[in-house]
Amino acid sequence: MVLSFFDQFMSPSYLGIPLMALALILPWTLYPKPTSQWISNRVLTLQGWFINRFTQQLMLPLGRKGHKWALLLTSLMVFLITLNMLGLLPYTFTPTTQLSLNMGFAVPLWLATVLIGMRNQPTIALGHLLPEGTPTPLIPVLIIIETISLFIRPIALGVRLTANLTAGHLLIQLIATAAFVLAPLMPTVALLTATLLLLLTLLEVAVAMIQAYVFVLLLSLYLQENV
Amino acid sequence: MLSRLVFVSANALKGSGPLGAGLVQASRSLHTSSQNLAPVPPLPEKGGKVRHGIFPEELFQLLYPKTGVTGPYMLGTGLLIYMLSKEIYVINHETFAALSIGSVIVYGVKKFGPSVAAFADKLNEEKVAKAQEVKDAALASLTQAVEQEKKEQWRAEGRTLLFDAKKNNVAMLLETNYRERLHMVTNEVKRRLDYQIALQDLHRRMEQEHMINWVEKSVIGSITPQQEKESIAKCISDLKVLAKSTKATV
Repeated sequence: MVLSFFDQFMSPSYLGIPLMALALILPWTLYPKPTSQWISNRVLTLQGWFINRFTQQLMLPLGRKGHKWALLLTSLMVFLITLNMLGLLPYTFTPTTQLSLNMGFAVPLWLATVLIGMRNQPTIALGHLLPEGTPTPLIPVLIIIETISLFIRPIALGVRLTANLTAGHLLIQLIATAAFVLAPLMPTVALLTATLLLLLTLLEVAVAMIQAYVFVLLLSLYLQENV
Repeated sequence: MLSRLVFVSANALKGSGPLGAGLVQASRSLHTSSQNLAPVPPLPEKGGKVRHGIFPEELFQLLYPKTGVTGPYMLGTGLLIYMLSKEIYVINHETFAALSIGSVIVYGVKKFGPSVAAFADKLNEEKVAKAQEVKDAALASLTQAVEQEKKEQWRAEGRTLLFDAKKNNVAMLLETNYRERLHMVTNEVKRRLDYQIALQDLHRRMEQEHMINWVEKSVIGSITPQQEKESIAKCISDLKVLAKSTKATV
């Protein structure tokens, strides 16, 4: 019983064929391609509106140089949101629960921002290591602390996403099991548990969207510092 | 050989409703045949009709002739019960999770569906309205330009009348001036002639007076003193006679 809770996080494979690629490609099939028609259907209109608004909001604090990252960040956001939301369906595998995937997103992008900062404006990039107005005796210690904080960022990004989603999924499984087991024994308690499950599902929906947004927002913040 | 297949199937599909039209459009993008499948049927505006959110209406239409209205429902119930009883679908904790997420999804769609659809429609409407506004503005400005052009043409017509009137005016002024000058000339000439006449009259009068004076002078000169005494004596005798006649009458 304990093992089966973590089965959902195992990378799916069938007859030895890894299905991870299939799981990752699925979001792409769900979004219609923009047509050359002037007025499109509702889905396409909403999709276009959302992507426009999101990119506009994200690119607002970034200058012209940061606009090169618009495509990357917006597509990352849409991808993560879709993966997270699809994972809430029963019997589905959520790729973003895999630490390898999230680190694969976080480390290269974070490293890119750091390298851009070091290359284009090394003084300012290094200057971020010392917050303004620190008392002089604290400076060496603070530099060390800020460096550690800088290097923790990719780990934090990846682990944040993984941990949130894994925890959420596990909680759903646990509470659903509780409701399932209690249903023939104590129906009233099972009903309460089912209500809890409903609220948790709502929370998980919110968490799915928020975590994706936070991931992309933090990356844009790091970019803003360094671009 | 495949292109012939595409031809035949495309022509059959064109008339077969929204799905057929979609397939014709899709196969066009594959460029499997020459592009002579015109006129291409228009794409449908709304998606296919569904019942209960997931089951297409075509399924119900398909089963209606054989099993009536309740046919698809019986099929669904039977399938569900079959899967449950044979434990093809096992009820476990995931079922509860599926129920909860299912209810969240259904609630979300039912509550926010119409407003989201209205929002999408509003976006499209605004797009169309903007283009329509441009078109209307262009139309209005062009109509106004036509109106103004017509007015200008009418004004141009009127200008000839204006010129005629001005010409008449000037002609009248000239005429008046000419007449005045003619009048003045006539007056002057008359004055000259009157002067001559007056001169002649004066001349004749003076001659007359002169002659009368000369005649008087000569008559008075010719009266001798003898005649004067005789005339005075006659006058006195006449007077005496008259005095006698008046005394008598008084």
